[in-house]
Amino acid sequence: MLEGLTAMRPALIATFTWGLVTGVAMVKSGLTESMAIAMTLLVYAGSAQLTSLPLIASGAPLWLIFAAGCVVNVRFIIFGAALHPFFRHLSWPRRLALGYFTTDMAFVLFIPRFGDARVRGTREQLWFFLGAIVPGWFAWQSSSILGVVLGASVPTEWALEFAAVLALLAITIPLVKTRPMVMAVVCAGAVAWVGQLLPLRLGLAAAVIAGVTAGVLAEKALARGKA
Amino acid sequence: MNTPEYVGWAIALLFLCSVICRAGYMLLGDYLPLSEGFRRALRYAPAAALTAILVPDMLPWTLEHGPRFDYRLIAGIVAILVFLRTRSTVMVIVSGMVALWMLRWMLG
Repeated sequence: MLEGLTAMRPALIATFTWGLVTGVAMVKSGLTESMAIAMTLLVYAGSAQLTSLPLIASGAPLWLIFAAGCVVNVRFIIFGAALHPFFRHLSWPRRLALGYFTTDMAFVLFIPRFGDARVRGTREQLWFFLGAIVPGWFAWQSSSILGVVLGASVPTEWALEFAAVLALLAITIPLVKTRPMVMAVVCAGAVAWVGQLLPLRLGLAAAVIAGVTAGVLAEKALARGKA
Repeated sequence: MNTPEYVGWAIALLFLCSVICRAGYMLLGDYLPLSEGFRRALRYAPAAALTAILVPDMLPWTLEHGPRFDYRLIAGIVAILVFLRTRSTVMVIVSGMVALWMLRWMLG
């Protein structure tokens, strides 16, 4: 668990900044303080929350809010599929809890470390995962509520949201170690750039598919080159 | 202004959305088998997703304004270079923020 905690430290800074930004954004888009706090405690999904805010503010139909939330969260289905072999031996309430509290950060830290592990479902893996999701939850909720309370008093000119971008950057760069990974990131970046024109952040989903495809193709090409 | 009922329903639906997307596969994974090749492919998903979240912030492109240049791109490149030298997350945030503030202050 300590290992998970240590690995989480840079991610916690990112989480804390994102939480603060999301908290401020919720209040600024017209939610009452109690509604904003209910939202962060229940939904616990920054990108889905940020996506829904303009929709709620404009009184969009509820089904559209639900659909947009699902599209932004579709990556968690992919994460769940990758994590499932490590936790399939647990009882269903525990799997429900682990799933619900899964974050991008926990996944991003867990898979590079244990993705190629021969034995799956060890105590070490479970504790590492807990070490990543438990502090993540506290960091997110405390910063989010702090953001709600501070609300409008943070000046927009500080561009605080860019600190969150920078923190995510520091998590992304160390992942790019192999040539297929470079290809994956370049292709995902290109598609994400053009994909901004798509509605409902569908460009995000398209970029993930493009990046994964590019990574796999590069991996195969590299293997052929060696054989 | 929206009614509290409307906002309440929106939050409830987004909660449902979180539970389904995150815990769905954990709960039903044994009934939805995945090949080893597919699992290997999934290793590229995190870096791809993070990149896709970062790009619109550094290289904005909207329907009204077309592709635009933003000082954030330069600030981001400065931050990447600092990270490659120092391997420090805190330095990435500090250098990137300072670079952004300096650029805006000097060039408006």
